[in-house]
Amino acid sequence: MESPLHHFEVHTIIPIHIGGLDLSINNAVVAMWVGLAIIAGAFMLVVNRGISPIPGKLQSVLELVLEFISDLVFEFIGKEEGKKYVPFITTLFLFILACNLIGLVPGSYTITSQVAVTGAFAVGIFIMTLVIGFSKHGMHFLGILVPPGVPKIMIPLMVPIEIVSMLARPISLAVRLFANMTAGHTVLAVLFGLALTSPGWVSWMPFGFTVVINGLEIAIAFIQAYIFTTLTCVYIGDVIKLH
Amino acid sequence: MSKNNGLRQGMQIAFRLGTELTVATLIGALMGHGLDRFFGTRPWGLAVGVIVGGAAGCLNVYRAAMLLSMEDDDDNNS
Repeated sequence: MESPLHHFEVHTIIPIHIGGLDLSINNAVVAMWVGLAIIAGAFMLVVNRGISPIPGKLQSVLELVLEFISDLVFEFIGKEEGKKYVPFITTLFLFILACNLIGLVPGSYTITSQVAVTGAFAVGIFIMTLVIGFSKHGMHFLGILVPPGVPKIMIPLMVPIEIVSMLARPISLAVRLFANMTAGHTVLAVLFGLALTSPGWVSWMPFGFTVVINGLEIAIAFIQAYIFTTLTCVYIGDVIKLH
Repeated sequence: MSKNNGLRQGMQIAFRLGTELTVATLIGALMGHGLDRFFGTRPWGLAVGVIVGGAAGCLNVYRAAMLLSMEDDDDNNS
């Protein structure tokens, strides 16, 4: 019987080592490529076919997604400022969604269940917010550490609290996505293991649960991608508006 | 996408607020522990760090909850 965590293991497919760096192509990289290929392929198909005023099926779905995300960005960042960030946020949402959904195909690999991947996203976004903040407000950006309406005596207490809450943001962003995906897939693996090992007259029960939980996992894939992008918008918006 | 479904909305809130509090407390504790190692003030840094982290967690949860209640108001008005 395989361990329920077996499907999170990374296997090297094509070993590449350049100057001590391990740049091997492994199953996680391949799954990421597939995710990119699906999204890019869908958009390229629509554009190549010609964008018509009366949208076809695929075109309406993609237009819906783009509108949904630009509404999200405009709500949290603002209509004028937000325009610059729509492409980035859309890419982020679609990539995370594609990765989450690919993980649900049996035998594939869930890239978002690797804390290295979600952590890289979160740290990248954190650095991006810092860069946006400092380039927009200069040294006034440090004022984000002092919430408005705080009495002067409280400032020495509030600044460490604000620093911790700032640093907690990217980590909670990364941990949330990683933990949800890992937990869901482990539950699926455990239930499926039960279905395979138990005698025939009870094995329909865990198998039924895997079907139900698979449906739940599809919902979670959407919710987690949505939460990740919403919070990215909120953080960028906070930095731009500065309170 | 997740607005038309009560269960999904509830799960989204639960995921968001739960990790917010836990992670902030952990970060506070780790920073306190790090300062302890640096200055050799065991165990005071850790103790203060946990409290500051917990406070930061409460602040983050409060902010997230305010944001959610704002969204609710928008939904009710429109």
